Formats: sequence, structure tokens, C-alpha cells
Amino acid sequence: MKVLKFGAVWCSGCLVMKPRWQEIEKEHPWLKTEYFDYDKDKEMIAKYKIDKNLPAFVFLDKDGKEFLRLHGEPSKDELVKTILENKEK
Amino acid sequence: MIRKFAKILLALLVLFFIVKPAFAQEKQVNPVRESELSNGVNVYFFWGEGCPHCAHEKPFLEQLEKKYPEVKIYDYETWGNSDNRKLLIEVGNKLNANVSGVPFTVVGKQHFSGWLSEETTGKSIEEAVKCVLRDGCYDVVGEILVSKQAPVQKEEPCECEEEQKSAIPAELNIPIIGKVNPRNFSLPVLTIVLGGLDGFNSCAMWTLLFLISLLLGMKDKKRRWILGSAFIVASAFVYFLFMAAWLNLLLFVGFIVWVRILIALVALGGGGYNLREFFVNKDSGCKVTGGEKRQAVFEKLKRITHRKQFLLALGGIVLLAFAVNLVELICSAGLPVIFTQILTLSHLAKWQYYVYMLLYIFIFMLDDLIIFFTAMITLEMTGISTKYSRVSHLIGGILMAIIGLLLIFKPELLMFG
Repeated sequence: MKVLKFGAVWCSGCLVMKPRWQEIEKEHPWLKTEYFDYDKDKEMIAKYKIDKNLPAFVFLDKDGKEFLRLHGEPSKDELVKTILENKEK
Repeated sequence: MIRKFAKILLALLVLFFIVKPAFAQEKQVNPVRESELSNGVNVYFFWGEGCPHCAHEKPFLEQLEKKYPEVKIYDYETWGNSDNRKLLIEVGNKLNANVSGVPFTVVGKQHFSGWLSEETTGKSIEEAVKCVLRDGCYDVVGEILVSKQAPVQKEEPCECEEEQKSAIPAELNIPIIGKVNPRNFSLPVLTIVLGGLDGFNSCAMWTLLFLISLLLGMKDKKRRWILGSAFIVASAFVYFLFMAAWLNLLLFVGFIVWVRILIALVALGGGGYNLREFFVNKDSGCKVTGGEKRQAVFEKLKRITHRKQFLLALGGIVLLAFAVNLVELICSAGLPVIFTQILTLSHLAKWQYYVYMLLYIFIFMLDDLIIFFTAMITLEMTGISTKYSRVSHLIGGILMAIIGLLLIFKPELLMFG
């Protein structure tokens, strides 16, 4: 499983989520994540159609297929629960 | 949705302007001729067509006239009749009183702004009548009407109490909390609530966040602080200029019912928009809109902050803050316009209007200040959660709708101080 994180420097909610993800990544070192900037990584933004709210978190399975998308500011517990439930995907 | 609302607003406006001439025909002419002034106690009642406060005071004054044969009521409609409005302004100048609102009643040298009830304002007016009957007093309005000829009444200076009367009671007895003075309490609380709601949108601070990200990349600490502070001060100043201009315009045009109704519609529209956001937009986070505009501002910010000459960078930042905030203001002028209208309804000294405006702007800018200072001190960017923006949409929506309805039907409840 892999999580694609989409954010922007001007987005207040993205700044709130940054340390939350850092904690999760530290506690679950096996988890693969990648960050994309809304203004810089245009290709990825277009590919995943990020056109609603920021931040956005796209969950991909082993085959790179999207199986879940979260917007806004999910809590740490909510994120950890989702990650552990889908660990084998 | 917004377009639909704009169309409805436009239709209502057209309707008002069609209906307005019909009302205009009912304009009252100045009902008093100088030679007709009575030698008893003259009570001058300045009122506005459609003003609910005035409608409540009118029957009281009629009763007062019956109760005291010496009393003669002269009434002046000020919203539709410009001559009467001019007279009110002249009276205000002479009495050194704020005459931005009606009803405004003058007995001798005493004046009464607003109307609460027979037991409060009514009692004070009756006391003033008794006082003039007992001690005599200059008839200030009478003097103006007879163009400074012989005073209508005795020449002795008035010994009656000249305390300013207001529509709001001096004290309210609230269970548990105890006695509260609503004059000192309501307006500051409303200022803080409205300023907070206006400033709460953390998605609106995108320019500041981008600027901070650029500033944090700079080595020169002094330059970081000065450029960031200049942006914040200039942003606050734009807001202040807008509100001050709007306030003075409202005070200049006077208490015209159509302006109040128009602002009430803005409040109802803003309330509706906020409630819609609450129900429709359930995700937290920031909406991705205005991409090109944002990119253009970012490019300019980059160029400005990297200018070698410090003064050019400083001037550029100030100009950009003006431009960006002016655009933002036009898009979200609802709350400051509504707040300014409430200020003009309240009888305050001019400096007090500005103090309240500054308090509003300070609360409005508080989240920006917190973000800026935290970033400058810790050298790390922090964000304010957008999680509560949905709640603020709900509270803001309900509050704006209530204010809109009050402005139309019960403006007296918004008259503080």
C-alpha cells in the first residue's frame, strides 16, 4: 500500500496535516508515502484529478490502483486505523 | 446559486426603486411655522417613515399631549424629507448630539435618542416636560426655527438634568451573572464575534502563508520581519480604510431606510451562503479555486521579495497587500458592511466608532498575527485547522440571517449605546 499526499504551501489545513503524517510515518516505517505540491507537480495533480479540496490523500494498493481517497483533516487515529486495516492491500 | 441570488437581489432592488416613489409622495412638509410655536412646552419629535421605534414613541407622545395641555408636539419625518433632515442635523450641531438615528426627541435643551419603552425613555421624556414646566428652559429647536430671534421661553439657563438618554436600559438583571450594563457589554461582544467570524476562514490567508514560505527562505532576519509586518499592517490598513469610508458614507447619507434594507439583504444573502456551505461542503480543507489568479500573485510575491533594493521590496509588498486585500474585500465585504451598519445605528462619539472598527480588525487579523509570529520565531510554518470552518459557517450563517431580519423588522434591537 502507498499513500499519495497532495497539498500546497498556501493551504492552512495541509500545514496542520504535515506533522500528523510525520508522526505516523515515524511510527510505521514500512508505510510508503509521497508528497506532491499542488502548484509544482501538475502532472500528478492532473492524473489524480485533484480539483476539489486540499489536502487530499490518495490510497493505492499493490497494483497502484486507488482504493480510497480522503480530503481535509482526518485525525491521526482515523488515518492509522485505515492504514492498518489495508496494510496487506 | 450565487448568480441566482444576485438575480433575486437585483429584482428586489428594482422593486424597491419602483415602490420608493410611491412612498416619496407621502413626504411630509415641515409642519411648523415659526409664528405658530406655542408658548407652552414644545416637544420636537424627529422620526422616520417605517422606523419601528418611532412608531412606538408616537402614541406615547400623543398621550403626553393630552395629559399636559401645555405640551405641543411637533413632528418631523426625516427619512423622506430633506428639509427636516437638515433641521435635525442643525439641532444635533447645536446640542452637540449624534443625530445619525431616529427617533430623536428634544424637550427644551434635553434630547433623547432612540426609544425603548414608556417606562424607560417615555418616563425620561415626561420628566423633562415636567422639569421645563417647573423651571423653564431654552427651547433649542424653537430658537433655530425662529432664526435666533427672541427665545421662545424664559431666558434663564435650564437647570434640568441634561443626561443623554438612550434606547437601551442602563442595567439588565441576568440570573446568576447579576447586573450587566448592556450599553457597555453588547457592542464589544458583537464586535468580537463578527470580527472573529470574518477572520476565521483560514483558507483565506493563502497569500500570507505563501509570503511566509518565501520569507523563511531568506537569511536576513530583519528583512523577514519587516516585509512580513509590512504586509500585515498594509492588509489591516486596507480593511480600516474600507470600513472608515463606508462608515462615513452611511453617516453622511443619514438613516435612510433603503440603505438599511439593502444591507439587511446583504446579511440575509451572506447568511444563506454560509448555511449552504455548511450543508453542502462537508469536507474540511481548502477549496481549490482561482488557480490562475493565485499563480499570478505568487509570481509577483516571488519577484518582490527577491528584489535586492530593500525599499523597492517594501513598497512592492505594501502595494501587493493593498491590491490582494481589496479584491478579497470585494468578495467578502458582507460582514464588515453589516458591522459598520450596526455601528451607525448605535449612538456613539466619532472616536468610538473608530475604536470599535480597530477592535474588529484586530480580531479579524488575530489568526494572521498568530501564524506570522509563530513562523518568524520558530522558523517553521504552522497552519490553523480548517476543521472548525464548517461550524463557523453555521454560526456565521445563523447570525447573519438574524441580523438581516433584525435590520428589517427590529432595528432598535441593534441600537447600542
